[in-house]
Amino acid sequence: MPTVNSIYGLFPGPHAAERGMNALRAAGVAPDKLIVMSPEPFEEYGFAQADRPKWMPWLAVLGGVIGGTGGFTLAWYTQTAYSYPLVTGGMPIVAPWPTGIITYELTMLGAILTTILTLLIGARLPNWKPKLYDPAVSKGKILIGVLDPPDQARADLETRLRGAGAEQVKTTGRSAAS
Amino acid sequence: MSHQWGMVIDLDRCTGCEACVVACHAENNISTVGDDQAARGRAKHWIRVERYYEGDFPDVKVKFMPVLCQQCDAAPCEPVCPTFASYHTSEGLNGQVYNRCIGTRYCANACPYNVRFFNFYNPAWEKPLHLQLNPDVSVRSEGVMEKCTFCVQRIKAGEIKGEAEKRELKDGEIQPACVQSCPTRAMVFGDLNDPHSEVSRFARSNRGTKLLGELGTIPKVTYLQKDSWHGAEDA
Amino acid sequence: MAQKTPEQINDDLLRPLSGVSARYLIIMACLVAVVIAAAFAFGWQVYNGIGVAGLRRPVFWGFYITNFVFWIGLSHAGTLISAILRLANATWRRPVTRCAEVITVFALCIGATFPIIHLGRPWLAFWLAPYPSERGIWPNFRSPLLWDFFAINTYLTGSVTFLLLPMIPDFALIRDRSSGWKKKIYTVLALGWIGTPRQWHRLEKAMQIMAVAIIPVAVSVHSIVSWDFAMAPVPMWHSTIFAPYFVAGAIFSGIAALILAMALLRKFLHLEEYLLPIHFENLGKLLLVMSLLWVYFVFAERLTSWYGNESSEMAVFWMTQRGSFSPLFWTMVTCNFLIPFPLLAIKKFRTITGTAIASFTVVIGMWLERFLIIVPSLSRKYMPYAWVTSPYRPTWVEITITAGTFAALGLLYMLFSKAVPIISIWELKWGRHEETVRDPVLARRDEEAMA
Repeated sequence: MPTVNSIYGLFPGPHAAERGMNALRAAGVAPDKLIVMSPEPFEEYGFAQADRPKWMPWLAVLGGVIGGTGGFTLAWYTQTAYSYPLVTGGMPIVAPWPTGIITYELTMLGAILTTILTLLIGARLPNWKPKLYDPAVSKGKILIGVLDPPDQARADLETRLRGAGAEQVKTTGRSAAS
Repeated sequence: MSHQWGMVIDLDRCTGCEACVVACHAENNISTVGDDQAARGRAKHWIRVERYYEGDFPDVKVKFMPVLCQQCDAAPCEPVCPTFASYHTSEGLNGQVYNRCIGTRYCANACPYNVRFFNFYNPAWEKPLHLQLNPDVSVRSEGVMEKCTFCVQRIKAGEIKGEAEKRELKDGEIQPACVQSCPTRAMVFGDLNDPHSEVSRFARSNRGTKLLGELGTIPKVTYLQKDSWHGAEDA
Repeated sequence: MAQKTPEQINDDLLRPLSGVSARYLIIMACLVAVVIAAAFAFGWQVYNGIGVAGLRRPVFWGFYITNFVFWIGLSHAGTLISAILRLANATWRRPVTRCAEVITVFALCIGATFPIIHLGRPWLAFWLAPYPSERGIWPNFRSPLLWDFFAINTYLTGSVTFLLLPMIPDFALIRDRSSGWKKKIYTVLALGWIGTPRQWHRLEKAMQIMAVAIIPVAVSVHSIVSWDFAMAPVPMWHSTIFAPYFVAGAIFSGIAALILAMALLRKFLHLEEYLLPIHFENLGKLLLVMSLLWVYFVFAERLTSWYGNESSEMAVFWMTQRGSFSPLFWTMVTCNFLIPFPLLAIKKFRTITGTAIASFTVVIGMWLERFLIIVPSLSRKYMPYAWVTSPYRPTWVEITITAGTFAALGLLYMLFSKAVPIISIWELKWGRHEETVRDPVLARRDEEAMA
């Protein structure tokens, strides 16, 4: 149930969607008011370039470092300080090669778990009550629209969207007048 | 002074009578498994007497070699146990903690001497043999690995006695069941840290070899034999 | 495929999710019966003692560890296809990724049960977990079995992530097309996905990071499994070749399992227009490469053993070459190389049927390979007096549990294909319009078809 004012067009393909986006930008809509939804990623087109992640790989590396430190601490501390040191096969209590393996595995686990977290947080998931959504997106349509448009601009925006090739133009929110 | 327990076995004296095997069974509550299970390879003999035959009839020679846990200082069975059920004690023994064992059987695979035995079923003693169980030694359950401990219960009992009486242990005072029962005194047990003990002197003998010593396990059992075995080259 | 509209693709790939046929129910019933028999066999083993299995001194590891290594190895299917081909930008992988990732997750789950099944006291398996126990000790990190614990859990977490994350947009698709209780479930699973660029970019970036992370993890997992053997001073085990040998063998068996799964899915779910002969050809070429790599490793290992002529190693060596294990050994070579090589190398035979037959023999051959690594070496270690007198023979318990694992994979796969589209719909569509962006004629034709 959309809870926000908006006006958007449903476009049949990426080229039309690109024209629609250009039309809206030409109308002077601010970038943070533009909204795009698509059934698959459209990396090759201009309309789908917003909101690129910058930090995700670095956060994964950080997660790996934290995991690795945790792994090393686990292997080292539990075998020496916590329990009485048990000698096995003449090996040192904190055997370097096996400790390396434990550290490595927990490094990778840290990176993996951090990536899941950054994905969920960055993509604002889970969010079972999105402000705006149209199931037509699942049928293959690309949604290009404007959030919170001023009332007097609505008619103009609709004309632009239809002119760019939108099959349908819909509005949500308080004003039902198109 | 701390002890490092070791053993010497004189192969030139061993007659293959297997009194040591029987004594070990009695002392350590090792059950027999029945002929069907024994045929399937589940018999448990913490010490066994290996027989090797040389030559053809009628000029056959037999060599006997009692093999038991070598209590290796670089034991391959110790690092592989995930629960520390197999570990090295401060007195040089390879300890087997039954309560920690979850039965992965990795230690038995790693042991090059094949001296580790697994309880495939719960051990059973037909009445009235259950009356013969040694109260100083636990009975192991199904799923647990066991092996020779150098009769650690006797070692501990001897050490406790020595502490109570506030004296050093005498050489030869503590004897595992196998050593005690050997009729030809082919087996000697004692403290390798004491350079004057019998076991230390015999371990330095020029008849002494270590079983599979080339694997680097640093075993604590020294075998004495005058000549090397001819059959050993083909083994 | 360029002629299909998005709705047609949705219909085709979501059709298996609706309704069950009689054939489906019959096959499911058979698989469930086998799995229940396996569970019963395990219960029998726990109740009566592990002596009901065929294990004996000195062959303390047999069928269960064979299965463990085999299933963990099979799980490398997904990693190769999804991660390596993703990083190499091989676009033909797109319809195949989810099939592969599903095999990985389920094979890992199955494989990970065996460290519990083979224990003498399986109810204490949790002692492998690093937690402050009331007994005052932690597990022994020097043991390869602990490395197994960490590696398999890390790999399982990574693989489940790799599988689940790209399923979110497909769950959103199903959510929008369903109603009633199904809509409720898929709404929850879709996490409220709406398909904004913010979400797509982050999903893609997460998959890229995961692809880079999961490959070293997969390599480490099977290396660590191989070190369960290589760390012990057992003839023919204590070899430095084990880690790369096992990783190569794992990828080999994984690709074979994937080809088999794809061939079955194509037939039963009518995916002839999506799983194309070119996919089987490409995977068949990869399988050929892995077969040759496997032969190389076996040859290198055998040559050095034979040439070195170390007596304990040769005792084991001759058992597999000429002795009691030689029938199994030569069957393995036939299954892994002699049959697959012509089927995969000759283009005329590299069809869907050809690659499927080759894959089937490879799966059998790789299972035999794991068995032949474990049992002959344990049968003849360093003390000849302790050499095995009567050979290791599996009992009904071990055979039933082994059969149960294969049935379990089939069962889990069939259940999965009813709940989730087995081909990743959004990735397929994305691959399609990557072609159209390079070709404006195709693009215009596409748009006219969709209007």
